[in-house]
Amino acid sequence: MSLAKLLENPRVWRGGSQLNTKTGLASGYSRLDRCLPGGGWPQHGLTEILTGHYGIGELRLLMPALAQLSAGHMSSSTDEPLVEEPMEPGWIAWVSPPFQPYAPALQQSGIDLSRMLIVRPKDDSELLWSAEQALSSGTCAAVLLWPDTLDDQASRRLQLAAEKGHSWAIAFRPLTARRQPSAAALRLELQSTQQGTHVHILKSRGGRPAVLDSLL
Amino acid sequence: MPRAWKSPVTVRDTAPTPSEKSPQQQQLLLFAEPPPPARPFSVTPTPVRRLWFCIYLPNLPLEACRTSDAALAVVEEQHGIHRILQADPAATAMGIMSGQSANAALALLPTLQLEQRSLVCEQEQLKHLAAWLEQFSSFISIAGRDVLLLEIAGSLRLFGGLRELRRSISKGLREQGFSAAVAIAPTPLAATWLARAGRRVCIRAEESLGPTLRALPLGCLDWPAEQCESLLSMGVTHIGDCLRLPREGFTRRFGAERLLDLDRALGHLPDPRDSWRAPQRFCVDYEMTEEQSNRELLLNICHKLLLLNEQFLLSRQLGTQCLCFSFFHLKSAATELQLGAALADRAALRWLDLLKIRFEAMRLPEPVIAVRLRSGLSQPLQAETERLCFHSKGSAQRRYSIAQLAERLIARIGDQSVNALSMVAEHRPEQAWRAQSPLSGWSTSSLATRDNIKRPLWMLPEPALLPADRGYPLHKGCRLTLLDGPERVETGWWDEDGIARDYYTAVNGAGNRLWVFRNRQRSPEWYLHGLFG
Repeated sequence: MSLAKLLENPRVWRGGSQLNTKTGLASGYSRLDRCLPGGGWPQHGLTEILTGHYGIGELRLLMPALAQLSAGHMSSSTDEPLVEEPMEPGWIAWVSPPFQPYAPALQQSGIDLSRMLIVRPKDDSELLWSAEQALSSGTCAAVLLWPDTLDDQASRRLQLAAEKGHSWAIAFRPLTARRQPSAAALRLELQSTQQGTHVHILKSRGGRPAVLDSLL
Repeated sequence: MPRAWKSPVTVRDTAPTPSEKSPQQQQLLLFAEPPPPARPFSVTPTPVRRLWFCIYLPNLPLEACRTSDAALAVVEEQHGIHRILQADPAATAMGIMSGQSANAALALLPTLQLEQRSLVCEQEQLKHLAAWLEQFSSFISIAGRDVLLLEIAGSLRLFGGLRELRRSISKGLREQGFSAAVAIAPTPLAATWLARAGRRVCIRAEESLGPTLRALPLGCLDWPAEQCESLLSMGVTHIGDCLRLPREGFTRRFGAERLLDLDRALGHLPDPRDSWRAPQRFCVDYEMTEEQSNRELLLNICHKLLLLNEQFLLSRQLGTQCLCFSFFHLKSAATELQLGAALADRAALRWLDLLKIRFEAMRLPEPVIAVRLRSGLSQPLQAETERLCFHSKGSAQRRYSIAQLAERLIARIGDQSVNALSMVAEHRPEQAWRAQSPLSGWSTSSLATRDNIKRPLWMLPEPALLPADRGYPLHKGCRLTLLDGPERVETGWWDEDGIARDYYTAVNGAGNRLWVFRNRQRSPEWYLHGLFG
């Protein structure tokens, strides 16, 4: 059997194949961008961020990327000279945030406030429904959600909806979710210490796990 | 020898002096004074040529109450006996004719469906037809019980000529199950008479009106029966015969009104008509034949009503922002269901989409006997502007706009739970922003931002009281380190929510940055107000 024929087999996964494509959304943190396949946040998919508490920097981590999305221009990679591509400004939906996203601070971070949509569903099934609607609508560039529980099946649905609507789903989950399987394209764990917040890449489709100390 | 009929002269450049007036003209002026115009539009004596399209519905009593294909006859009570007024072809074939008593008809055909004549129902049908006809003309008039008039001189070009227009109207009438006689003439009365006489004619010039009208029998005039009889007994059988009679004598015997009719029909006098306007709000009922609780079926009915609503709004170039469904039950009060949209819309499918979301969660206490759909205030349709996009990246598969997404979310999880954010020019941190309904237009207010003062990304809904240890705040049992501050906010003394606070950025043992303040006004307590996320 020739090598070429072997590689045609769909069961063979080649880790390096996606690394060269510059499809990611620049995160604003060059150390993180270097560790992510595609040189940035994986767009059109589900990203999970696991935290022990809220307010340890999980929003700060996302703000540069969200600001780009809400403003409607994006630089695709940090390695290349900044190529600004014209893009329709996207909406950012916050589904069931634990506290109130504070408008003045969002504005300070460069986010276009007129493109925010805060949704507060009553229970988890409504939360997933709302997130799925927002993701598949094709108008939301990013959907942030804080589910109480998110099983394997739900995460797969979110991943599919995000791919369908060309949208970026970001699910915030407790540290206990680390053991659960998930369909997310990227899973990060945030740990806050006196020296700053460490970011662990637990799972990265097409990339490798990594530990980034004191990123934030 | 009676004097011959002469056309009265109604339009003159100069007023005639009294000496010029012939006795005949003086007579004419006594009663031929044109009535004050009801609407200036319909009576302007301009040289604009009008053309009237008359639709006469001879079988309206029958057609108005047809519900099934069974042989049908309409009865009317005459002198205490129910007599057949009209019978459909199936019944006529069995020997049933008008004037028969209801019992005799039933004896001939036991399966005959008998319906009481309903003038209300007929009027409803006429209005329904008039509303449908509004697509062909801007001027519709309902004349009497069974006649509709359209002014079509202005519509000819748009609809591709007279022949095409007549064809499309006749086709539409047939499709809706109405058998109609139509005629076209320059005056409304002439058109009506021609249609009643069953002449499928089209007269465009006023000059050729006379010869055609003269040949019409008196039966097509809507004059009282005794007058017609007395005319017939005089040997007057056609309109032409009437016109040969002397005007004075005719007026004396039959009243000025009859003479005015003739003058108006011939176009010598203006004939103002009331313009009928369809109501601008849609309201329709659907009554079930039996109680229903099958949701699929109810949704289907709602879809039908929504399609009617779409048709209604489409012909007016309107849309609406809210719809209200009422589901009526036999005993309990009606269940109401309100739907709202961000933009005025009429598309039935979009409304159905919203309805389905709400319908799932709706509880019906009892089976439904009728459904009513009322549309809210109509407004000009605001079409959404889509950008021309040649860029492949921007044109992601957009299924619906943000307004549609917000509508769907609101329909499922409620009005209060979906918000947009905006800034407020206010120094009190908790009042510096506002949540607003995403459907209420996306307003953005501007405020001079001070970049040197950092605000936290997370705001607590209420400031949380922190325990203190010798004047220093504690968070989760650990003393906070104050990094930055104080930022003094002392404002709002003019209302009840005045504050006097010193804000600090603090860091706790785990390295999290917090936004805390100390109250200056009352007891100096520490509060947690935000997290720097």
